[in-house]
Amino acid sequence: MRLIVDGRPISYEPGDSLLIALLRADIQPTGGGCLCLGGDCANCLATVDGVSYVRTCQTAAKPGTVVQLHHTQKYPPLPQEDEARPAVPARNLFSDVVIIGAGEAGRTAAREAEAAGKSINLLDATYGEEAIGIYPGPLVVVRTPHETLHVHAQDEIIVATGAAEILPIVPGSELAGLLTRRAAEKLAQAGLDLGRVVAIGTPPAAVDCQLAAGELLRFEGENGRLHTVITQTEAGQENRYACDTAVLNLGLHPRNALLRMGHNLPVRAVGDAALESDIPACPNEGVVCPCEGVSVADLETIWEQGFHEMELVKRATLAGTGTCQGSTCLPYLRSFLLKKGKTLQPSFTARPVTRQLTVGEVSAGTHHHATARTALDAEHRRLGAQMERSGGWWRPWSYGDPDGEYWAVREAVSLMDVSTLGKMIVSGPDALEFLERLYPTKVSTIKDGRSRYVLLLNERGYVFDDGLICKESDTRYSLTFTSGGVSHAEMWLRDWAASWQMDVHILHQTMSLGAINVTGPLTKQLLAKAGLANPPGWLAHTKAEVAGVPCHIFRLSFTGELSFELHHPAEDSVKLWRALLEWGQEFGIRPHGLHTLLRLRLEKGHIIVGQDTDFDSTPRRIHHDWAVKLEKPAFIGRHAVERTNKIPLDKLLVGLEMADGPAPMEGAVIWHDGQFAGHITSSAWSPVLHKAVMLGWLHYFDGHLPETVTIDGRSARRVPVPFYDKEAARARA
Amino acid sequence: MNEFQEKLVNFKWVEPKKTYDVIIIGGGGHGLATAYYLATRHNITNVAVLERNYIGGGNSGRNTTVIRSNYGIPEAVRFYQRSVELYQTLEDETERWIMHAQKGILWMAHGETAVRAEKARAEINTAFGAKTVFVTPKEIKEICPEVDLTGGGVWPIMGGSYHPEAATARHDRVNWALAEGAMKRGVHVHQNTAVTNLIKSGNRVIGVETTAGPMHANVVMSAVGGHVTGLAALAGLRLPIRTHPLQAFVTNHYEQKFHPIVASTSLLTYVSQTARGEMLIGAEIDRQPSYSYRSGHHFLQTCAHRAMTMLPFLRQLRILRQWTGVCDMSPDYSPIMGFTGVDGFVLTTGWGTWGFKAIPAGGEQMAQLIATGETPELIAPFALDRFAQDRTMADRGSAGTH
Repeated sequence: MRLIVDGRPISYEPGDSLLIALLRADIQPTGGGCLCLGGDCANCLATVDGVSYVRTCQTAAKPGTVVQLHHTQKYPPLPQEDEARPAVPARNLFSDVVIIGAGEAGRTAAREAEAAGKSINLLDATYGEEAIGIYPGPLVVVRTPHETLHVHAQDEIIVATGAAEILPIVPGSELAGLLTRRAAEKLAQAGLDLGRVVAIGTPPAAVDCQLAAGELLRFEGENGRLHTVITQTEAGQENRYACDTAVLNLGLHPRNALLRMGHNLPVRAVGDAALESDIPACPNEGVVCPCEGVSVADLETIWEQGFHEMELVKRATLAGTGTCQGSTCLPYLRSFLLKKGKTLQPSFTARPVTRQLTVGEVSAGTHHHATARTALDAEHRRLGAQMERSGGWWRPWSYGDPDGEYWAVREAVSLMDVSTLGKMIVSGPDALEFLERLYPTKVSTIKDGRSRYVLLLNERGYVFDDGLICKESDTRYSLTFTSGGVSHAEMWLRDWAASWQMDVHILHQTMSLGAINVTGPLTKQLLAKAGLANPPGWLAHTKAEVAGVPCHIFRLSFTGELSFELHHPAEDSVKLWRALLEWGQEFGIRPHGLHTLLRLRLEKGHIIVGQDTDFDSTPRRIHHDWAVKLEKPAFIGRHAVERTNKIPLDKLLVGLEMADGPAPMEGAVIWHDGQFAGHITSSAWSPVLHKAVMLGWLHYFDGHLPETVTIDGRSARRVPVPFYDKEAARARA
Repeated sequence: MNEFQEKLVNFKWVEPKKTYDVIIIGGGGHGLATAYYLATRHNITNVAVLERNYIGGGNSGRNTTVIRSNYGIPEAVRFYQRSVELYQTLEDETERWIMHAQKGILWMAHGETAVRAEKARAEINTAFGAKTVFVTPKEIKEICPEVDLTGGGVWPIMGGSYHPEAATARHDRVNWALAEGAMKRGVHVHQNTAVTNLIKSGNRVIGVETTAGPMHANVVMSAVGGHVTGLAALAGLRLPIRTHPLQAFVTNHYEQKFHPIVASTSLLTYVSQTARGEMLIGAEIDRQPSYSYRSGHHFLQTCAHRAMTMLPFLRQLRILRQWTGVCDMSPDYSPIMGFTGVDGFVLTTGWGTWGFKAIPAGGEQMAQLIATGETPELIAPFALDRFAQDRTMADRGSAGTH
């Protein structure tokens, strides 16, 4: 079996990790440095099957694996990829106890938990189950070669990740031929010939070696490869040990990042992971942070520059910010600062990820934020609509002919899918009182079967949504909200109902009810044909069948033409839509999209909350004072409106029209005598008026609103709204 | 030594005094910048900056280092443009390397309404001195060849705005250059010195209690990030601030190749490559207010997914680290700077997700305010009393991500 290293096939033995396979072929992945074979150091990194920074000691060799070594360039190149690929699968696992690490301590903890009747998940990095972080939940996220696991613990997480071996920091520690004790044992077990071995500290088991006497001083080598270990005795005498491999046992520091990450969560450590770290002697020279190339001399320099806090030393030298995230340098940084007279510094803040995974792997189990579709979505697409995300929904922007759609509304009859409209029922004994407190209008004066346009204010007196209140009875009201605002509005209603301890029932019906707006001067003829002989009068609503579909029919108008909104069970939407389109043929029916609607309503001067309003829109600023009844004793925002009404106005939402020429873009800046005077919020060419009409924020100058302004270098003037059909004769026809 | 080790900055630490002309609470970017500009522009050096931990250890050292001025209201465009320009000369002025790099930011539009919004952004920016232009998908591909114009087939890119002056700088180095510049001129910076209370005389703040003893001053400024509402409460102020976590992550180091900053309001994510070659990816604030620095999995998972939607090559990159900072959000998504109504107590807060880019202008203006006793025209719109006066600075342009 062979794998491919920098384009060259090499053989390996079954069971080899990539690193062992490389070492069999006498290849040092990063050219040198002490190898740990425990996933801690950064000296065995390579690009594996296109993914860089893979620890080859933690990756099983497979036939045909393509390995590129990192040491040929400073940083690996960014991969070329310009289209999406299939997602990595994610799987959720649940148990009482999650144990990270299947060594002796982990297995003992597993036995204890099982004996106590607990279900367990035992994660074993040897089998490629690498825990990358502990998160609230508590949740352990685990990378495996095939999938990403989300491992949930009901009771607790036990960190049994063991301890890492402290790596040598002396001159020459970048040479090839250095191994930690455990690494030497693993390689010997795999049958690798380590040559002449010198051990510093406790020697490895089952490896023939010479014990070095004295304190490690430096390594010497040639062509990047170790040939001599030099130690110093207490008497100051240097000993030289010729060898091929040096094996180091310099102490342990616990792999406790997962434990520290899980502070205030039910997480505990067992075994070596619970140890206090050994603090090695502070070295006099050598590279402390191999990832970023930071030497002892660099630490001394930065200390002299006045960087004395652990975090500042780290940030100023970058020690600990590389791939191994401090696994090599942390014990030495602590010993360095200890030597400088600081107290023993705590470890760096533990942050995910403790083992690396790719952006693709971590995204496993998520999806594109869903954009809702109405029951008519397929109908729109079949009719060739360009779809647009709006207010959290896919909506038809146009069916390809915005002008035709426009004239269908103004002169014939048209449909629009308004299923996205927020729809709620408020019922119960306190329904009226609840709505009186919620809305600035006098809800008690709405008669049965009637509707009223209303604003929703927040406590600061700013408008955050609008819609209708439609009274069905004293204890039952049907409410509408904007498409994008209803989710927030639902929370708003429920929060206040709870705060005020109101006996009301709130039913959110947006998803269950479809809604089709039938609009245009020929609407009544069409509805009559569809079985509705007596449609409701202006601002009235009624329940009746249309085309055999039970509908709640609201008479109102956003387009400026005769309009009926048919709310109906969403499962009947297609039937109703198709029937109306078919029966409307003789009246010249065609559906219209958002693009057309935005123009129609602008001609009528109707605002769109969120487009024409801003966070600071009081009813007064948008000319909606009439919708606020300050004589009412209490409603949300009342005090704020009363207070701000006394402050002189600084700006107003106004109607504007261009003297001539096309419509300026929305967002265009309004100038007055060379000064900033506001901006346009809505703008369109009006086919019926033959001019460009706009809504925009206009600033006061010395208490006066300018009559004429400049937009796009052209003249525009302030005009009253609506622009079209001022008497509303068409809508009320 | 790597090429990025700080080689020039030299700190000289001194013992605290009992009185100063000005005490600044918070040794982050804004506190240090205010001290720096007090010293360099107004020759006011009897100043102490008090930091409870280490300098730049809060959000000044946790942000994603984007500098830009493509905001949505004239007042903000002007203010941030001032900051963009001060950043451009900060290296020369301090003679320190802050790793300032002009990159340009691309702001993607994924629909008709988003196209309108980005056109409007370009319009208002241009009117008030920030260079922003609307760009077509073809132009986007030229600026950033790595981008997938189909948005993974789900979020097609229909255009965008391009703000070429957008830049990045190394956050730590900005903090250090300002700290050193102030200290060289006699300003005291005291680390590991936490303010535990304000000393008041009537309605006037006259000093602070600290873990290193009481200190008195004519002016006390709060440049605190995170726990600012608690500090302001000591002065008897109730601030309209909620503090939310904001998270980000970086990948390992890769060859320097990805030049621009890429952002999307619809996807609530933005991507750039650091000078060291890490791909840096950020998102919007966490919805739940909190002071917690704990990192979340949902953020990492979803943000990774959204970033790949625009930039598919990210898929294969290995993640190095994720982290969290906290953002002080005001109701109108604009900062709060200036006098507070409490004599002797001024503040700079509400820095939300835009604090780093405002460091030089915020510091310069607050220094002028302290030195002259008058609110400079550039920051007058951001006064605290705007909320009581119904003059909020509603800026949807800053309600994005960074």
